[in-house]
Amino acid sequence: MKRFQFLLLDAGPIIKLFTLRIWDEFIKRCDVTISRIIADDEALYTEDGCEQINLKPYEEHKLIRIIDVDVLCIDRFYREFKLQGKYDIHAGEQETLAFLCTPSENWMVCSSDQVVFRILGRLNKADQGISLQEILAATGLGSGLKWETANPAAGDWKYTKKFREKWTHKGQEDFVQDSPSA
Amino acid sequence: MNIGHKLRVAREGSGYTLRQVSAQAEVGESTLSDLENSKREPKFAQLSRLADIYKRPIEFFLMDDIPGENVMLWRDTPSTEDEKKKTEAEFRQLCEQYHRLEVLMGEAKKPKLPGPEVSEPGEFGFQQADNFARKVQNQFCLGDIPSTSLKQVLEENLYVKIFHLDFAGSAISTKSEEFGSAILLNRNNRLWRRNYDLAHELFHVLTWDIFRKAPLSANKPSEFEEKLANAFASRLLLPTDSVRERIDQVKGSGTTVTLEQLDEVAREFGVSLDALLWRMLHLYGTPAEEIQKYIQQGSQLKTSRPPRLSDEPDKLPERFCSLAIRALRDGKLSLMQFKKYMDLSYKEAEGYLTDEEGLTDEKISISAA
Repeated sequence: MKRFQFLLLDAGPIIKLFTLRIWDEFIKRCDVTISRIIADDEALYTEDGCEQINLKPYEEHKLIRIIDVDVLCIDRFYREFKLQGKYDIHAGEQETLAFLCTPSENWMVCSSDQVVFRILGRLNKADQGISLQEILAATGLGSGLKWETANPAAGDWKYTKKFREKWTHKGQEDFVQDSPSA
Repeated sequence: MNIGHKLRVAREGSGYTLRQVSAQAEVGESTLSDLENSKREPKFAQLSRLADIYKRPIEFFLMDDIPGENVMLWRDTPSTEDEKKKTEAEFRQLCEQYHRLEVLMGEAKKPKLPGPEVSEPGEFGFQQADNFARKVQNQFCLGDIPSTSLKQVLEENLYVKIFHLDFAGSAISTKSEEFGSAILLNRNNRLWRRNYDLAHELFHVLTWDIFRKAPLSANKPSEFEEKLANAFASRLLLPTDSVRERIDQVKGSGTTVTLEQLDEVAREFGVSLDALLWRMLHLYGTPAEEIQKYIQQGSQLKTSRPPRLSDEPDKLPERFCSLAIRALRDGKLSLMQFKKYMDLSYKEAEGYLTDEEGLTDEKISISAA
């Protein structure tokens, strides 16, 4: 059985995994699900922009799952959480978070975007966020990587547990501030 | 929600045929037609792709009503309606993005813009346009050479949204309840032309509530209104005292000035030689026929002299970029959305994130007490 079963991946971690050339190994160890918009329009190139990322063959061979969310699901997400004017996220991130908020399995989102973690904190879903560093450590793929010092210029700190915690905490503060009794 | 109807409105509003959208979105024409006729519901990924093509936010398709379209005033309308609609769609999208950033950062301001001394279109004449330009010049502290500071004052003090795009036409102005006043300039035009267009469009923006009241003139300014806008622009960019003083300096003890000397003065004021010559009609009472003759001669002068140095303005205003960068670093704007707003590659967008911002709260602070 794979270590992570209900794992939603945002564009940043996909790009990183392809850049590190560990994507194929990663999907052997985790059940990966990706939003249609992220797969088709966002995770397109490796970090240096040189190598194209094509997720279609992986989808066709059922190695990953791509989800197509209904507009109604997005509409519900908008109306229920009223995040407009507070955070501005791309359509792929909206699709991922709206799917996460559907009452199905206990999905986890792996992102490298501060706003995604912040929104998870704001939605009181802090425990449904995870960093790439944590997943790679749990799956035995990250032993050779030193996230915080390896290459600061490349923004590797975005994939760390510390980064996730910092922004999730900020979202939790937003939650407290936005709650009626605050 | 009636998404189908909104899809049709958005497509037609941005000047696309079903066939063109089909090719761009990689969705069959019959599917698009079914979506527009509400025979089937789009998946969110389809809607998102169409929203990108039509340059509409997702919210447009999710809200209960279709918001009214803002009037856009054109200077030199393009030859085809489709081209016009595509430019308007892009301009509106930029204004909306700018406003979203302002809201995110709590900086959506609606300053009170100066107004003219009259409140009805019929009361407006050249004297009123002249007085109004003088009032604006003083109130904005534009100094002796207004073209050098006008854009900055409008953007930073009055929060007018000014963009530069490559499009068929010269300039567009609009005013919206939602995002305020905005002006689009053609980035391919020379600096002097853009200066004049900006001042011209400023007249429309500042007199919007006067001239856009009447239904017949709401979408298209009358010829007379355009002449008033030109008079205003001319008076604003070429202040009486400064221009007279400069021309006096140039002519020295003589009584005449050469076209070459006037061309130099026009360059200093950031306007065309033609604009300065027309201004002289008012300043020195030079007959119009004579001005026409000088303009004719001036056009020959232009061909024998090297073209003026110009610049290539950025598409996005400085404040737009500043708001986007701050929103990104404050954790309010996602990297992918930042990349889209700033029209950057993923790698370029990533460069705006810093290690300090991500992992520590340590920032360099300088005492300003």
